[in-house]
Amino acid sequence: MTAPVEAGAKGVGASLPRKEDDRLMRGRGEYVANRRVVGLQEVAFVRSPMAHARVLAVRKPEGAEQQVFVLADLDGVKPIRAVCGLPGFRVSELQVLAGDIVRYVGEPIAMCVAATRAEAEDLAELVEVDLEPLPVVADMLAALTPDSPKVHAHWDRNAFLESMVDDDLSTVKRDAAIVVRRTVRTARQCMAPIEGRAVVAEYDRRLDQLVVHSATQMPHINRTGIAECLGIDQASVRVVAPDVGGGFGYKGILLAEEICLGWYARRTGRPVRWLEDRYEHLSGNANCREHHYDITGYADASGRLLGIDCEAVVDAGAYSLYPFSACLESAQVSSILPGPYVMDRYRCHTYAAATNKPPILPYRGVARTGVCFAMELVLDAIAREAGREPWEVRMANVVPSDAMPYTNITNKYFDSGDYPECLRRTVAALDVPAWRARQTRGEPDGRRVGIGLAIFCEQAAHGTSVYHGWGIPMVPGHEQCFARLSPDGALELRIGTHSHGQGMETTLAQVANEVLGIDPARVRLIHGDTALTPYSTGTWGSRSMVMSGGAVAAACTVIAERVKAIAAHLLEAAPADLELADGDVRVTGTDHSMTLQEVAHAWYRQPQRMPPDIDPAGLETTAGYKAVRDTGTFSYACHACAVAVDTELGTVEILDYVIVEDGGTLVNPMIVDGQVYGGLAQGIGSALFEEMPFNADAQPLASTLADYMLPGATEMPTVRMEHMTIPSPITRFGQKGIGEGGAVAPPAAIANAVNDALHDLGVEITECPITPRRLLAALAEAKAGR
Amino acid sequence: MTRIALKVNGQAVDRDVAPRRNLVDFLRDELNLTGTNVGCEHGVCGACTLEIDGAPARSCIAFAVACDGASVRTIEGFDDDPVMIELRAAFNREHALQCGYCTPGMLVTARDIVTRLPDADEARIREELSGNLCRCTGYVGIVRAIVSVMAARKSSSGGR
Repeated sequence: MTAPVEAGAKGVGASLPRKEDDRLMRGRGEYVANRRVVGLQEVAFVRSPMAHARVLAVRKPEGAEQQVFVLADLDGVKPIRAVCGLPGFRVSELQVLAGDIVRYVGEPIAMCVAATRAEAEDLAELVEVDLEPLPVVADMLAALTPDSPKVHAHWDRNAFLESMVDDDLSTVKRDAAIVVRRTVRTARQCMAPIEGRAVVAEYDRRLDQLVVHSATQMPHINRTGIAECLGIDQASVRVVAPDVGGGFGYKGILLAEEICLGWYARRTGRPVRWLEDRYEHLSGNANCREHHYDITGYADASGRLLGIDCEAVVDAGAYSLYPFSACLESAQVSSILPGPYVMDRYRCHTYAAATNKPPILPYRGVARTGVCFAMELVLDAIAREAGREPWEVRMANVVPSDAMPYTNITNKYFDSGDYPECLRRTVAALDVPAWRARQTRGEPDGRRVGIGLAIFCEQAAHGTSVYHGWGIPMVPGHEQCFARLSPDGALELRIGTHSHGQGMETTLAQVANEVLGIDPARVRLIHGDTALTPYSTGTWGSRSMVMSGGAVAAACTVIAERVKAIAAHLLEAAPADLELADGDVRVTGTDHSMTLQEVAHAWYRQPQRMPPDIDPAGLETTAGYKAVRDTGTFSYACHACAVAVDTELGTVEILDYVIVEDGGTLVNPMIVDGQVYGGLAQGIGSALFEEMPFNADAQPLASTLADYMLPGATEMPTVRMEHMTIPSPITRFGQKGIGEGGAVAPPAAIANAVNDALHDLGVEITECPITPRRLLAALAEAKAGR
Repeated sequence: MTRIALKVNGQAVDRDVAPRRNLVDFLRDELNLTGTNVGCEHGVCGACTLEIDGAPARSCIAFAVACDGASVRTIEGFDDDPVMIELRAAFNREHALQCGYCTPGMLVTARDIVTRLPDADEARIREELSGNLCRCTGYVGIVRAIVSVMAARKSSSGGR
C-alpha cells in the first residue's frame, strides 16, 4: 500500500494545488480563439442540410470566387482515410469538402472566408447548393438488414467491421438454471466540451511552414495527418495546442476543417480561423455512445455466471475518422464486455454499423459505458431470478482477490486489484440494510426508492501490443520527455501529451520533485507544440499520468545521475553517497551539500570546474518510457446509489451516491477526485439527460443546449468517494490510468436503482437516458400488460 | 454602424459598432479583452457571464449597441477585487476548475452569489449556479469553494 504522505510533501501522493489555475481564473487562459494575428480572416462552412444526398451543383456567389472554396479548388488535397487492419474492414473516404455525395447532416460542402465570422456566414447563406436526396439510413439495426439502402454505394453491407469472439455455449445452455435475455440500448450523445473545436492556420514564410493552432488532444497526430492530407513534408507543418477547453475525446481527431484552413493559409499566405459554434457541434457532431445489445446471461441457480452470449451493434456513423477509425469501439465491445467477471464461456458478435449520422469518435470511457450498462443490467436480472441481493451475486462472480494478477476470458491481463473488497466497501458505505428498511417503510411523498450498483474494470494506458492488432493509423509505443536543468537551477520539462484540464503542469512537477527533490514551483512544463516537444500520440485512453509520468521520471533520473556526477566532484564525495532532496544535493547523513542551482551554475558557467571525464551531454536529456508490460493498467471502481422515482412525473432523484475506486498510487489525490467527479457528472448525463434524437431522415432534433440537456449543479448529488490505492506492479510509481472511469458506471448503477424501485410494478428499464418520457412509457406499458 | 459610449472595467470606451455585434465579440475582438469565453452563443452555458451595471449578464446574447451608457465589468476587471481574490484562493484550494474555460463566467456568478445571498445554503447555491455549465468538475469543487468563501466571510464579519 502507498505510504502516508508527509505534511508539506510535494511529490507523488501530495494533493498539491494546481499551478495552472491562476492564469485561468484571471481570464488569461490562451485558448485558440484568443490568438491575435494581424489580418486574421474568419471561416464559416456551408454544411449539408441533408443526411444523404447527391451533390449536383455548388454555385458561388458572384464576385466571391476568391472567398468561397469547394473541393475542386483544393488542389492536391487528399481525403481523410482511417483504415483498420482487422479482416473485413470496409474502407470509407471523407473528402474534406463534399465530393459527389454527402452522408450526414453537417458534412462540410464549401468554405467561406471573410473579415469576420458574421460576414463569412452572410457569404455562406449566398452559396447555392443543389442536392438530390438519396435514401437515408438512420437506424443502425435497419442499416444491417439486407435490403437497406447503402451509405457507401459500393459496399455490400452497412458495416465497417464485423467481429466475433466465438465459443461453444452448448454446455452452459444445458446447465443454466437461470437464463436472462435483454435488449439494451444507449442513446447517441454529444461530448459537449464548453470550448468547441477551434483552428487558426498561418503560413510562416521564413520556415516555409504551416502553423496550425488547434484545440486538440494530440498535436503530433494532427500534424502527421495534416501533412499527409496536404501532401507535404511533416517538417512543413507545426501544430500548437495551447490551452484547450475540455476534450473528453472530442478533440482527439484530425479535422476536415484543419485541412481546409491549412490549404488556404498555404495557398494565400493569409491567416485564417474557424471557431466551431454550438450549433455546429450539436447539429453535426453528435458522434458517440450509441450502442445496441442483444445479450443473454446464463447462470446457475445461485447466480454464478456460466456464460454470456451477445450480439452488439455500435452506430459508427458515416465515415471512419483519423486516427481511431470506425472500428475501435465495436472491436473494444467484444474484448471488454466480460468486465471484472469470471465465466466459463463467452461469445460476442459485434458490428460497427454505418449510418447517415456523424462519424463515431471515442468519448470518455469509450465502449465501457455501454458495455458496463449491458453487463450490469444482466447481472441484476440474474440476481432477481436467483432471489439474492445484486451485490451478493457480483461477489460470487468477480475475479477473486487471490487470483490477481488474472488473465480473463478475452485474454486481458488484470495487473492488480481486489474486486471483492471494492464491493464490500461500497456496500458498507451505501448502507444497504438501512435502504432496504426505508424501502419497506415507503416514502411519505409516495415516491419509490431503489438502490443499485455497478462494478467495472478499465484498461488504461495500454500500448503497442493492444493497438497494433487493430491496425489503425496510430499505434502508441514509448513516450518521451525532454528535461533540462537551466543555469538558474529551474527545471524545464517537455512532453508530447497534452493537458486540457488534467492538471499535468502540476502532477508532472510532482513527479520531478519525487525524483529530483526540486520544488514544483521551479518546474515548468512545456506541452502542446510539435516544434518544442517529443513526438507522441497524445492524451487519450487515460494514458498521460502513466506514460508521461513515467517518461518524466526517466528523464529526471538521468538528470539526477548527472547532477550527482558534477556535485560529487565539487563536494569531493562519491556519487553513491549523494542524495537529492529539497532542492539540494547532499552527502547522505551530513550537512555537506550544495544546491541544484549551484550545480547548474557550475556546469553552464564555470566549465573549468568540471572534472575531465564529465559526461558532455550535460544537464539536459530526452528519455523514453514504456510500462513493464504494455497491456495496460486495470483501474476499477464500484458505484452505488439510492434513487427516488416519481411514478407520476417520471423523474429520478439521486438521494445518495458512493464510489469506491482503485487508481493505484494517486500522484495527486485532489486531481484524481476531480477526474472522477467530472466523469460522474458526464455519466449522470448519459444516465438521465443527454440524448441526441434523430428522425427518420437522420435529422438531428436537438440544436440548442435547451434541447440537449447537460447536467447542471442542481443535477449533481453529493458524492462520497473512497480510494483503495493498490499500486500497479507495471508502472513507475504504481499509478493507474483513472481519467475516464467516472463516466463508465453511472448509467448502469442508476438504471439498476430505478429498476430496483420499480420491479414490483413489472418495470425494467434497459435504455438510457432514463428520461421522464421513457420512464412513463415503461410504466404505462407495464400497467397495460398486467 | 452605431456610435456607443460605455465604461469597460472603469475605462471610457467610445466606438462605432455594427448593430448586430454581440457584446462578447465586441469585447474580445475590438477591445482585446479575451478573458470572457464564448460557449454556446445562445445564453444557456454561462461561460460568457460578466457584469453589466453590477448584475451578471450573458454577453453572448447582449448586443454591444444595447450597452450604450452602461458599465461593463469583465473577468479582467476583477483582478484586484477583494471578493474575487477570496474566490480565486478557494477555487484553487477546492479544485474548482480543470480546463478553465467556464471559469471566468463561473467566478462572476460565484461572486454574485456570495455578495447577494450571503446566507444561501448549498441547495440555493446550486440553484443559483444552474445558469453556468461546467463539463469538467461535476461542480463539486465549485460548490465547496463558494460555501467556504461564504463561511469565511461570515466568521470574519463577527457572525453578523
